Amino acid sequence: MSETFPRERIRNFSIIAHIDHGKSTLADRFLEITGAVDTRKRAEQMLDSMDLEKERGITIKAAAVALQAKIDGEDYLLNLIDTPGHVDFSYEVEKSLQACEGALLLIDAAQGIQAQTVANALLALEQEMTVIPVFNKIDLPHARPEEIAEELEHVLLLEKESALPCSAKTGKGVEELLREIVRQVPAPQGDPDKPLRALIFDAKYDEYRGVVVYLRIIDGVIRKGDSVHMLGTGRDYDVLELGKFTPKPKPFKSMGPGEAGYLISNIKRLGDVKVGDTITLTKGERAEPLQGYREPQAMVWCGIYPTNSGDFENLRSALETLKLNDSSILFEPESSDALGFGFRCGFLGLLHMEIVQERLERESDLDIVQTAPTVPYEVQFLEGESQVIHSPGELPDSNEYQEIREPVVTTSILVPDFGIGPVMKLCADRRGVFLRQDHLSPTRVMLVWDMPLAEIIFDFYDKLKSATRGYGTMNYDEPRFEASRLVKVRIMVSGVEADALSVICHTDSAQKRGRAILRKLQKEIPRHQFQVALQAAVGGKIIARENIRALSKNVTAKCYGGDITRKRKLLEKQKEGKKRMKSLGRVEVPQKAFLAVLSTDE
Amino acid sequence: MSLYVHFPYCQSKCRYCDFNSYAWTGQNMEAYVDAVLQEARSVAKELLPQTVFIGGGTPSLLSPQLLDRLLRGLADISGFVHSSKETTLEANPESFSREKASLAKDLGITRISLGIQSLRQEVLQAYDRVHDPEQALKALDAAQEVGFAHCNADLIFAFPGQNPEHWWQDLHTVLASGIDHLSAYELSYEPGTALTRLNQAGRWPAENPDHCQALFEGTRQACHQAGFGGYEVSNFAKSGAACLHNLVYWRSHSYVGLGAGAHSWYQGNRVQNLPSPEDYLATIQNRGQAIQEKQRPSPGTLLFEILMMGLRLPHEGVNLDRAEKLTELDALEYFGDPLSSLLDRKWLCLETGSQKERYLRATETGFLLLDEILLQLLPDDSNSPARKAQ
Repeated sequence: MSETFPRERIRNFSIIAHIDHGKSTLADRFLEITGAVDTRKRAEQMLDSMDLEKERGITIKAAAVALQAKIDGEDYLLNLIDTPGHVDFSYEVEKSLQACEGALLLIDAAQGIQAQTVANALLALEQEMTVIPVFNKIDLPHARPEEIAEELEHVLLLEKESALPCSAKTGKGVEELLREIVRQVPAPQGDPDKPLRALIFDAKYDEYRGVVVYLRIIDGVIRKGDSVHMLGTGRDYDVLELGKFTPKPKPFKSMGPGEAGYLISNIKRLGDVKVGDTITLTKGERAEPLQGYREPQAMVWCGIYPTNSGDFENLRSALETLKLNDSSILFEPESSDALGFGFRCGFLGLLHMEIVQERLERESDLDIVQTAPTVPYEVQFLEGESQVIHSPGELPDSNEYQEIREPVVTTSILVPDFGIGPVMKLCADRRGVFLRQDHLSPTRVMLVWDMPLAEIIFDFYDKLKSATRGYGTMNYDEPRFEASRLVKVRIMVSGVEADALSVICHTDSAQKRGRAILRKLQKEIPRHQFQVALQAAVGGKIIARENIRALSKNVTAKCYGGDITRKRKLLEKQKEGKKRMKSLGRVEVPQKAFLAVLSTDE
Repeated sequence: MSLYVHFPYCQSKCRYCDFNSYAWTGQNMEAYVDAVLQEARSVAKELLPQTVFIGGGTPSLLSPQLLDRLLRGLADISGFVHSSKETTLEANPESFSREKASLAKDLGITRISLGIQSLRQEVLQAYDRVHDPEQALKALDAAQEVGFAHCNADLIFAFPGQNPEHWWQDLHTVLASGIDHLSAYELSYEPGTALTRLNQAGRWPAENPDHCQALFEGTRQACHQAGFGGYEVSNFAKSGAACLHNLVYWRSHSYVGLGAGAHSWYQGNRVQNLPSPEDYLATIQNRGQAIQEKQRPSPGTLLFEILMMGLRLPHEGVNLDRAEKLTELDALEYFGDPLSSLLDRKWLCLETGSQKERYLRATETGFLLLDEILLQLLPDDSNSPARKAQ
C-alpha cells in the first residue's frame, strides 16, 4: 500500500481504564471484530503479548494498532493507541493522548470510577478530546451502572446518558462501540501539503532493530527514505522503515495526516529519542514544534550495590543495558562505607523502581543490595545557593544550611464512605494537609490532601488499601518543593555507622522512625557469635538503642535417615545465603535489612 | 550392612512433616508390599543385615496380613531374622494395637518406635496428628505388655507459646512409661511443609530461640537424671539401648534402602529411589529396581558428610582414621584453616582412641553450634571439594 488513507475516514482513539477494568480484553475484541486477528487463533490479550511477531524481528509490544473496519458500508481506519497504566508514567499518558482525538473511558460497572481513571479522563478533557464513557462487565450480577452514571456526571461532568454498556468478555455491545467511535470522534485535522509535523508519543527499544519510534502524523507526509529532523534533540535520521501494527508490524511506503504507526531508523539508544518531540523533514521548510516535551523528573532514588564488590563494572553495564529500554532511569556512581561502590539510581516512582529492580535481577544475574528509597531534597545553603540531594548521605551538617525543602504532591484519594475516617487519619499521621472533600455519590468520596511525597513512597498505598478493604485508589500530580523541619537519623551497627541505613525524616518522627528501624534490624540480622549493638542517632545524640543477643545454639534437630545429600545441600544453601550478606564491621547484614528503613510499624 | 524399608502412607500428613509420606486414600498396600519384596529380591538377597528398620510413613497402618507378608518375605529373601541384632518397626498410636504388636514380635520385630509427639490434645491437633493423648498412652502400654526388647518414643518440643510446664510433664510421663529410648526433637520448620508456609504467612510464629535453648538444655538434663544418656543431638537411651540402626547413619556405615524414595549407601554410591509410590510401583514391576539417582560423592564431599553426621555423636565423634580410609583424605589437611580455628576456639577437639585412632569431637560449646561449625567447614564453592580431590 503506497497511498495514505483518506483523512476523513481515520479515527485515532485510546482507552482510558483502571487496571483490571478490562482494557486488554476490549482491545482483543476490537482486533477480532475487525478481522485483524483470526478468532480461532486468537491469543488472549494480543496487545500485551511481548513476542508479538518474531518473524519480522520486532519483539516489542504494539503501542498503536491499526484496525480496518467497515462501518455502514464505508471503510475506516481506526488507530487504537495504547496508554501506560500507572501514576508513575503520567507524562507518557499525556503524550499518548495527544496522538488521539478521542478516548473510551472504560469503567468497571461493578467497581466504579477510580482515582487514576479520573486523572486520565481529566487530562483527556483538558485536551478537548471526545471522551466516550463505557461501562464494562455489565453482565456481572453486582454491576451498578445507574450509580456509576451518577458518579460520572458528578466528577467529570459527563452526561450520564452518554455512557455505553458493553461486556468485553462476551463481546456484547462491542460493535456498537466501534460505530460510536466513528460517529463521535472527529476525524483528524491536518494538511498533507504543509511541512511534515509528527508527534513522537512513545519509543521502545528492540534488540534486533534498535529504537522503534511511535509517531502520529499531524501535517504533511512522511515517506520511507526521507531524512527527518527531530526538533527537540536536533538530531537527523534516515527513515529506514515506516509501518503500522495490524497488529503484526506491516511496512508502508508513506503515511499522511492523522495516521499513526512506527518508524525505524538507525537509532541505537533510546535516550536519543524523546517522547513528546516533533519530527519534521531535514530539508525544506521547518515546521513549528508541537507542544514542547520535557524530561520526566526522577522522584524516587535509591542506592543499588553489587553484593560482590568485583561486580561493580558488571552492574554498570547491566544498568546501561536497561537504559536502552527505559531512558527514564538515571544512575550515577556513588560509594558507601557500608556497601562499597555502587550507583545512586533515580526512578519516576516507586513502581518504576520495583520494575527496574526486578528486571535487573532477572536479566543480569547479579546479586544486588538495594537501599531504601528516598525522595530528592532541596538544600538551601546559608550563602544563598541551593542544591538537590538524592541520598541522606549527602545532607550537610545542620549549621551549613538555612532550610531543606521536600517534594509535596496534591493527592486525590477515592474512597468508599466507610473508609473516610481511617484514610483521613492516615493522611494526617503522614504529615498531610487537608484541602477538600467531594461526594461523588452517596457512598463514595474524593479526598484531596497535600502530602509530602516521602510519606507516600513508604507503605502508604498498602495502608490505604487496608483502610478501605481494597477499594481506595489514589493519584497525585507533579511534585513541588516546600520547606520542612527535616533531620538525618543515622544508624550504627556495633558502633559502625551504616550510611546506607540512614534516613531523612521529620524532626517530630525521628525517634519513632529510629526505633522502628532498629526493631526491624533486630529481626532481620541473624544472631552472631557476639552481641550486636544497634543505635540510632540525630547529630551526636543517641535517640534509640537495641541489642541482638549472641548466638549460642544452632544445631539441626532432625538428622537421621538415609538422605545425607539433602542435609548437605541445605547447609550449602545456608552458606550461599551468608555469602550474599554485606559486612558492616564484623556484622553480616542480609540484603533484606537494608530495606528495614522502610518500616513504619511499631 | 543394614536394611531400611520405607512405607510411604500415613492416615494423614502432619503439618511439620517433610518426609516422603502421603495420606492414604485407598492406594493398594498389597501391591506396594509386593513391590518392596520384588525390589528386595533384586538388591537385598541374602543381605544378612546387622540391623533392620521398617520406617515411614506409618508402617503400623499395614493390616496384620500384609505385615505378615512383608516381614516373612523379607526374612526369606534377606535372612534378617538370624543376622539382625535390632529390628525396628515404626508405629503411630492410632494404628498400633496389642494384637498387631504381638504379631510384630512373633515376626521378628525387636524394637518399637512410637510417634507420640505430645500428650496434649491442643498440640496434637495443631500438628494435624490423628491420635489423642489417651491413644498415645495406650500404645506405650501395649508395647510394654507385649514385651519388646526395646521401645522408643518420639516427642517434639518448642510448640510456640506452650506453657513449659506442659512439656516437662509430657517428658516425665513418657520417660517413666517403661521405654528405654527417647527421641526429643525441637520443632523445626523444614522447607516445603505446611508448617513452614504458615510460619512464612505470619500465622505460626516460631518459639523464641532463647526459650528453645532452655528447653533443649533442660530436656538433656531431665533425660540424664532419668538414666537416659544423650548419645546424639536429639536422642537419649538407657545403657545399651542406643538405636543401632540410626548409629549406622551417624557413623556413615553402609545400608540398603527399599521402597519409594528410600536411600542406599554402599560401595561408595549414594542411591535414591523414585519418591512417588505410583512411579516406584510401576518401575519396580518392569525392572525390579526403581532408581531415581545414583551418585558417587567426591572424596571431599564424602568427608564433609562423614563429619556432618559423625559430629552429632557428642561422646564418640568422628573416627578420622576410618574417614581417611574411605576418602583417602586427611581431614586436618583437607579442611585446613577453618578446622584449626575451630579447634583453637575449642568448639571441636581431637582425641585418641584405645587403638591410637584419632577422633574429632564437638566440645560442649560446639555441640550446640554444630550447624555453625559445618557452615565454616563447608568449602566456599560447593563443587570445589570434588575438583580439589581429583
